[in-house]
Parts: sequence; C-alpha cells; structure tokens
Amino acid sequence: MRINCRASWLLAGAVLALSATGARAKPLSATCGPNNDYVIGVAQANFKEPYREHVDHELQRLVKNYPKFKLVIADGQADVNTQVSDVENFRTQQVDLLFISPFESAPLTPVVTSLYKSGTPVIELDRKTTNDQYTSFVGGDNRAIAEQAGRYAASQLPDGGEVAILEGLPSSSPAIERLDGFKAGIATNPKIKLVAVQPVDWMEDKAETVFSAMLQAHPGIRLVYTSNDLAAAGAYIAIKDANKLGQVKIIGTDGLPGPSGGVRSVADGQWAATFVYPTGAAEALDLAKRILIDCASSVPRQVTVPTQLIDQSNAKGLYGKEQF
Amino acid sequence: MRAEVPGTDRAETPGTGGPLLSMRGVRKRFGGVHALRGVDFDLRRGEVHVLLGENGAGKSTLMGVLSGAIVPDDGEISIEGVPVRFGSPRDAHEAGVIMIPQELDLVPGLDIAANLFLGKERRRGGLALDNRRMRAEARTLLERAGVSLDASLPVGSLRMGERQLVAIAKALAADARILIMDEPTAALSAAEADHLAGVTRELAARGVGIVYISHRLEEVPRVGDRVTVMRDGQRVGEASPRAPQSELVDLLVGRPFSELFPPRAASVGAPVLELAGASYAPDRPRPGWQHTRDATLSVHEGEIVGLTGLMGAGRTEMMSALFGFGTTGRWRGTVRVGGVDAGLGSVGAARRAGIAFVTDDRRGTGLVLQHAVSENVTMSTWRRVTPFGFVSRRLQGRAVSRAIADYDVRPRRPEALAINLSGGNQQKVVFAKELLTRPRLLLLDEPTRGVDVGAKAEIYRQVRSLSATGLGVLVASSELPELIGLCDRIVVMRDGRTVCEFGAEADEAAIRAASEAADDTAAAAGPHAA
Amino acid sequence: MSLAAASAPEAARPRRSPVALLVRFQSLLGLLIVIAAGLVFSPHRHGRLLFLQPDNVANIIRSISETGILALGMTFVIIAAGIDLSVGAVLGLSSVTTADLLVNDGWGLWSTLPLVVLIGTAFGAVQGAISTRFRIQAFIVTLAGLQAARGLALIVSDNSFININYGHGPGSAPPAFAVLGERIGGVFPVATLVFILLAVAAVALLNVTRYGRYVFATGGNERAARLSGIPVSRIKVSVYALTGFASAIAGIVHAGQFSFGSPNDGTGYELNAIAAVVIGGTDLFGGAGSMVGTVAGAVMLGALANILQLNDVSPAMQLLATGAIIVAAAALQTYVGQRSGGGSR
Repeated sequence: MRINCRASWLLAGAVLALSATGARAKPLSATCGPNNDYVIGVAQANFKEPYREHVDHELQRLVKNYPKFKLVIADGQADVNTQVSDVENFRTQQVDLLFISPFESAPLTPVVTSLYKSGTPVIELDRKTTNDQYTSFVGGDNRAIAEQAGRYAASQLPDGGEVAILEGLPSSSPAIERLDGFKAGIATNPKIKLVAVQPVDWMEDKAETVFSAMLQAHPGIRLVYTSNDLAAAGAYIAIKDANKLGQVKIIGTDGLPGPSGGVRSVADGQWAATFVYPTGAAEALDLAKRILIDCASSVPRQVTVPTQLIDQSNAKGLYGKEQF
Repeated sequence: MRAEVPGTDRAETPGTGGPLLSMRGVRKRFGGVHALRGVDFDLRRGEVHVLLGENGAGKSTLMGVLSGAIVPDDGEISIEGVPVRFGSPRDAHEAGVIMIPQELDLVPGLDIAANLFLGKERRRGGLALDNRRMRAEARTLLERAGVSLDASLPVGSLRMGERQLVAIAKALAADARILIMDEPTAALSAAEADHLAGVTRELAARGVGIVYISHRLEEVPRVGDRVTVMRDGQRVGEASPRAPQSELVDLLVGRPFSELFPPRAASVGAPVLELAGASYAPDRPRPGWQHTRDATLSVHEGEIVGLTGLMGAGRTEMMSALFGFGTTGRWRGTVRVGGVDAGLGSVGAARRAGIAFVTDDRRGTGLVLQHAVSENVTMSTWRRVTPFGFVSRRLQGRAVSRAIADYDVRPRRPEALAINLSGGNQQKVVFAKELLTRPRLLLLDEPTRGVDVGAKAEIYRQVRSLSATGLGVLVASSELPELIGLCDRIVVMRDGRTVCEFGAEADEAAIRAASEAADDTAAAAGPHAA
Repeated sequence: MSLAAASAPEAARPRRSPVALLVRFQSLLGLLIVIAAGLVFSPHRHGRLLFLQPDNVANIIRSISETGILALGMTFVIIAAGIDLSVGAVLGLSSVTTADLLVNDGWGLWSTLPLVVLIGTAFGAVQGAISTRFRIQAFIVTLAGLQAARGLALIVSDNSFININYGHGPGSAPPAFAVLGERIGGVFPVATLVFILLAVAAVALLNVTRYGRYVFATGGNERAARLSGIPVSRIKVSVYALTGFASAIAGIVHAGQFSFGSPNDGTGYELNAIAAVVIGGTDLFGGAGSMVGTVAGAVMLGALANILQLNDVSPAMQLLATGAIIVAAAALQTYVGQRSGGGSR
C-alpha cells in the first residue's frame, strides 16, 4: 500500500527530499520555468457571499495578464467536507499551485498541509490554516480593519450616543474578529454606549428584520456597524422604513465595487462609510508568478493588504473611476 | 317484515355438530343511526355462509363486530359455545376469527413469505430471520390456498387474484377457524373468481367456517351453502343459494324490484352519439387499461342505452375515452355527436360537443370533498358565473339554489361541505354539476354505486325525466337487473369491443352468456337482437 | 396440489419482468454508468487513469462517508413512510458537543462519545414520539427539530467554533480521537471505515431481522402492520431514533475528521442524504427500498462530483448535473413502478 502510494507521488517525494536536505536555494516549485503552462487551483469557500464572488471576478480579470496561467475555481459550498474534497481533487489533478480561502481554518489544515508537503506551493487568501505548512498568506486583517471602523465610529459621535452592531454568522472567525475589533475601536470613546449586538448571518433580509426590531427597542440608536456590506444594505432599508433617514449612520465592511456594492451606497450618501476588505487577488497572482515563472526560491510569508476607508470624501471618485 | 324464504334446505349443509359461531341480538348505533337492530347470525363448521345486503344494510357493521373492529352496544357472541367479547381485531385474531378486507391487508413491498409471517416471523436463534424456513412453510400454505407462487416474489408484483389467494394463505397461517371474506371477487376477472370459488369450497371442506360477503348474486350458487339477507340493519331472511335470483333481489331491496323503475319513453329522436368501427388510440397507454377497439353503438335523443360486460371488459374505459378523461388520445373510425364528426379525445373537445360525464368515483373524480356544495355545483361551469373573470356571488347563488331545488339535494344549504353529504346526495350534486353544462349526451358510469335503495329509485326517476327532455343517456353498470329495468337498449362489451345488443326487457341469462362467452362464435348464439 | 390450483395454471407462473429487474438494481446501474463515464472521461497522467488512482478512490469514499452515514438512518425513516429533515442539524449539534466536551470540559472519550450518541438518539426519538403521539407530519416536526438542534448547538458552543487540539491536560482532546481523521496505510480513510461498518450493520438490520420487516410493513401498509400485531407506533419512533443515532455518529466522525466542531456543521446535509436514498431506489412514499441502493446512491453522488471536478467542469454545471441525475433516478422509478403494475401505494 505504502509503496504504491509512494510510487504515484514519486516526483513530489523527490522535491520534498531535496528541500529537506537543506537545498535552500532551490525554487519553491519543482516544475517552474518561464516557458511552461500552469494550472492554479482555487479552492473558494463558497459562491454565495458577494465578497467571494468579487474575489473570483478579480482573480479571473487579473489572470488575463498572465497568459501562462489557467485558473480552476472550485466551490466549497460553505461546507468543510466539500472544500476538503475540492483540495483532494486538486491534488489528484496535480495542480501546480493552490489558492485557498478556507471556509474554516482548522478543518482544512490537514489536507492543505499534506498538499504542501507533497511539493505544491500553497497561497492562502483571506484566512489562514492553523499551522505554518503553507507558502504564503495574502489578506487583510479583520480585527485591525474592524478596529479602524470602531475608531471611525467613535470620531463620528464625539458626544457619544447609542451604537448597535449587526454581526455576521456567529461562530465564523471573521464575524468574531470583526466584532471584537469594532468593540475595541469604539472603546476609545467612553461616551459611546453599545446597546445591541445581534447576528444576521451576513444576510441582507435578516439584517433588515433584525435592525427594524432594534430601532423599535432602542429608538435612540445613532450609528450601526455591520460586518459586511449586504447587512449594511439591509440596515438602510430598515432605517428608511422607520422614517429615520439621516438620523442613523451606517458603517459597512467589504467596500465592494459595482452598482450594487458598498462604494456606490456611500457615494449615494446612504451610508456614512465602508471599509474595504481587500481581495488580495493582484498580490496573490503576483506571488504565483514569482514562484512558477520566476522560479523564486523564497517569497514573503505574509502579505497584508491594507484596508481603505471609503467615505463621502472619496466614494464618488472611486465609483466613477471603476466604470471602465 | 321478515320473509322466511321457503326452500331452505338444511339437509344439504355439510355442517357438523353445534354451531361454530352464534351471534344473538347484536345492536349498534352510530349517533342517531341504527346500524344494527338486533341481528342474529350463526355459522357452522365447514360451511360457506353468504351474507347479502345492499350498501348500508349493516353487513359490514355486523362483520366489523365479529372481527373485533367494532364494539357492539348490545348482543352476545359465542364461539363453539363459549361466550367471547372482542375489544380489538387482535382479540378476534387470537380467537381464530380472521377478516380479509376488500383492501387487502398486505404490504406490497414485502415478499409473499414475509407477508404471510408478518408479526410472527420464524427466527434462527437470535435476531436473524429464518427465511428458508419461512419460504418452505409459505409454500405449504400457498398450496393449501390453491396457488403455487414463488414465495420470494414481492406482493406488489402479483395480480389482484393472486393477492386475494395470498391473503387467504395469510389467514391460514394465522390458524383461522372463522374466515370472513368481504366481497373477495370485486376486483377479480371471471376466471380468477371461478378459481377463488373452488378454493373457498376446499377450505370449507377442511373445516373452516366461512362468512362470504357479496353483492354478486351470480356467484352465490357456486360458493354458498346458505344465504342470509340483511336490509336496514336487520336480518330479513334466509334462503337457499339455489333460490331464483329474483327472489333474492326482492329480499334485498324490500319491494318488488320492478317497482323501482319508471316507465320507459314512448319515442326517441335523432341520434346524439354514433360510433361505427370506432377505436381509441391513447397518447399515453396505461397498463391494465382495456382500450376501446372497433366499437359500434348509437344513442338517440330521449333514449337510455346501457353498457354492460364483465369487469375489465372496457365499459369505464370507453366512457373515459369518449370524454377524453384519464388520457388524451385520438379516435379512429366514425365518431359523431349530434350528427357531426366531433374530433373527441380531450375533455375540452367533449365539453364543446355537449357531453357530460358522471364518473364511477364521485369521491375521487366527481367532487372536491372539502369544498362547499355551491363550489362543486358550479365547478364545470365557472365561466358562466364569473363574468369578466370576477366571481359573481349573485349568479353563482342563483345557479346553485336552482340546482339544489331541481335535484333535491339535502341539506338544502349551498355552504354545506360535500364530504358531509350522504352518498345519494353527493351523487345528486355531481348530477347537478354535470347537467349545468346543458349537455346533449350524458355518460353515467355506475351511477348508483354506494347509494341506498331509496336513492337508487330517485336516481332512476331523475335519469328518466332528463332523457324525456331530449337528452341522450349512456349508462354503464355492473348490476344487470338495474340496466334491464332502466334502459331502452343494452350493449354488451367484451375485451374493449362491442359484441352485441339487446332490446328492452332483455333476458338476464342471455346477456350474461354474451358477456362471458369466450369468443365471438359463442356470443353469436346468445343475442336475439344484434 | 389441489384441483383448484390446476384450474388456474397461469397463477403458477412466477413473473420477473426485465424492467423490474432494472429497478431492483437501479441504484447500482446508475453507479456503474457513472463509473464507466469516469473511466472514459478521466484525465490521464503518466499513462494512468486519475479516476482509478487509489488515492482518488479513497478521496471519493471519504467525501461521502458523513452523508452516507446519515443516508443509512434516513433509509429506515423513508421506508417507514417518514422523513427526517433534522439530520444535518443533529450532526452539527453532535459535532460541536463532542468538541466542547473533549476540549472545554476535559472529558474523556469513554464518557463523551456515549453521551453524544445518547443525545442524538434521544433527539431523534423525541421527534418520532411527537410526530406519532400528536399525529403531526414528520416533515413539520423534523423541520422544527432542525431549528431546535441548531439552536442547541449555538448554546452548547457559546456561538463559536471549537478547534480540537490534541494532547494531555486541560484544553486538549485525547490524541486517540484524531484517528478519525487518519488514513489506514496512508490511503484508506478511517471515516469511511466507520461508514462501511455501519452500512453492513444497517443492511443486516433491514434485510435479515424481524425489525427490518416491521419497518417495511409499517411504511407499506400501516393498517396491515397494526392488524398483524406489529407495534407500529414504537417502530415509527424507533426509526427516528435510528436517524438520530446515525446523525450523532456522523457528527463525531465530523469532529474527528476535521479536528473541529462548529454549530454550522452539516448545513444542507439532510438534502444530500435524501438524494442518496432516493437515487438508491427507495420509495419516498414508503414501503419499498434498499439499503444497498442507498450506499450505491451515496457513492454515485460522490463519484459524479469527483469526475466532474477532475474534468474542470464548472461548479454551476456540477449542480445542474447532480439535479438531472436525481430527477432521472426518480423518473426511472416511477416508470418501472407503472410498468411492473405493482405500484399500489
């Protein structure tokens, strides 16, 4: 059994052996070179959230700059079991490099580790697995972005007031990090009172229902922070239905482009601000080029893509600019 | 009231010793209805005792009491002289009283052996089933029930006749002393029914007491040792199975049978339906559906034409095909309605041609049971009460109250739910619904199934008065006396074909012979008006 | 033997139409077609079929082990003419409870696992009892159960996922639990072994025990079952207890396989499980079905997803193909049901 297994992974085993014997100058990919074609597997967590869709679009748009690359995107269907299978199938197909946004970190760790150990470079987007068995991580810092949003909120309400939070899917790590970060941010202004926190599972309709009820229970709410743009859109409808337009500020997260994205909502004056959660697509593809085409022997372990505050000062300009 | 029929011949009954079963003074009321008014019934070992009665006569209630499904208000039951009291079908089962209901108590997905031993599986030591032993025992039981089938076949794959025999084998597996068979031949072909009669006799010969519920008079002499007739919750008489059928009929309905029927029409008008060499090709053939082939018949204005034949001869199928009901399709040959080629084959075409259809299943296809009488009455004529697509309560109310008055629907409330009406009144609602379409041809399939004698007479009167207004009526029925009494002409069907035709006052035996003939040559000898 | 039997010789002829044979092996047929397609369309590498690589086969059977386990329980329920929509949620509840007890409460395996199995089984039994006792449709009861199990999972986990770290001492789970995520000989997944063992037990329970007969009888003709002295109510409750049991095992496998417990685990798995059962030839109206078919149906769904993915078929097309397969299986069943004429329900 073992022998059989080893035979089928002969090539990969050789790479592992070489790197283990201290050949540090060796390239990260055994098949690298400027003249080959490469398949990059993308294990996306799901196709449901607009943010994920945006990442996929960005990847597909930008990969056109790399004629040697072919992207194959798999839908993890928001289920660790499915996403593990996706990675296993990429391994069977022997993709040259893996991009992965794990749906959850720990469950994907073993399969990513095993692929990485077999010699396939792994670039993680948005969320890390739990050990160091990957090539590089590209992403934003959820906690830092949310904290920045919290400080922004604190500055918007210098005299204090009631604040509410519409959390993402409880128990998912970005939801937890964004909640903690925002709480830390608004703590800089002790006059601000956090009166309500409810999960809305990243969903617009649920955000509308939940925030309508919040406005009933706490008519004094001056500002609401939502863990993503969709929830912010739901909160806006709830405010409009309660005839409180202009009385409650909305801060979103994601800053998605396009006619139904958060940038436009800010440009139209519906929201106070949103914080871009970067896709890292350009950075990830650049890393892939350095590994596969340039035969780099080392790349940065971590590429943190900074967030960007989108508010009235820049939203119109950004929204206009992207109409290419 | 009680009419003891002479000719009861006890010497011929093979029973031995005292009665196996004796029921005395059994009473049961459901609300205000007296279902059983003090009924006596007994059964000897080794005899087949036929229980006859119209629907609602109380025979099902009486057998429900015997099989433990119904607890009587009063009365005594004893088996082999020992008083018993059954609280549930289980109790009766354990005492060896087994009922084979019309809806057979078999599980279609399990094989024959599993069905026979359901609830008393043979096992090998621990948990595992002993399939080999069960199949072997099943073979023996099936042989005793007069059938040799592979015991590993799923019951769902068997024909109805085979299932009936499996049900008997199941009763044998439960060590039946008293076997109650509820209309066992209702769904069987003539050959299957014959075979079943033989099996029934054989079981009796082995000492089982059998109560045989039936409404098919023709099978009585073949299976029965004794006949008891019930009407209106009472035992009205006992007869020899060899008594003439007319006698049994008079007992069943309680008055001379001929009085039920209104006088015939004096004259008929132009033809409303003409079929000549007509065959029906359905778009989606259904298995077991006897499609019409080479049919020739005519119905005139003011005329009532009967359609008879054995089960499966294709009566219902011909009616459905004329109405395009069940499956759309195309007619070949001559099919004329009101003198023009009608292009029948769909419900829409039939309605446009002026055909109305009262199906044999008013609960399943005639009515929406959960809806009010008013909604049901206007169901086929919605357009007329919804000008510009809006429901007009006024128009609907007018149409409905007139229909209720015309057809004497009780209760006289348009808002009453159809499900709460008696069988006879439900049938009146179906009639009203269909006749609101102002048809020129009315198709009736088993119009009196499941209604009591009074309602039957009412329906006959209604049909005759409708035909007197110029309507042509084609009526299919399995009850030959009914057709003979009601119809002006009777057409016999076999294997989807029309084989011959009889005039008014036809002879029942001749019609029966024509229906059962194995081939056309035999039939040719029978009819006197072809 | 008897004179009567001789008069109806046609009754003696056992009939097996080829179509009925087809439906009997319908699920296997589908599996064979998918495997044949896999062989034809499999990408090659170094002259070998990727589809048949031991690793790939192991991946397929690993990916379906959890839905497979759920489908085993679901087969009993559906044969008994019921449905259980709560299995995915109970899987989540069991997974997160296992993680919580092992990690946060420092329980050992011998106390945790039996308790989780007990909770799952009891949850199912309660649903069955409510449905039977109060005559509420199982669809409604288990839909409510789905919500309730998710709610309980959120409470148990305190709205958070739980990573399972192995070691000794507080905050760590016993290392033995990690075996569920391993592969025997580096190839054969332990999770699949659990599925296979349970499948063998389920096939035996359904086909060779009295209990299995009672489940068929209850779903096929409840009145007949009751008259035959079968404790119909108890059978109905027990099949839901079985799905609860299977869900709990699947939840434990999930926690062990991924060293992780989340209240959202198993979202939508109930539909995959039902799909596997239906593709396997079990009648949604109850009374007829096959456990072997269910296993084949589950493997087929996994193999189908695998072959589509190996060929870089887009996720949208994968969903469409899966939908088409389910409809085709159901259509075949209806068609054969009409043909064999035995389809009295």
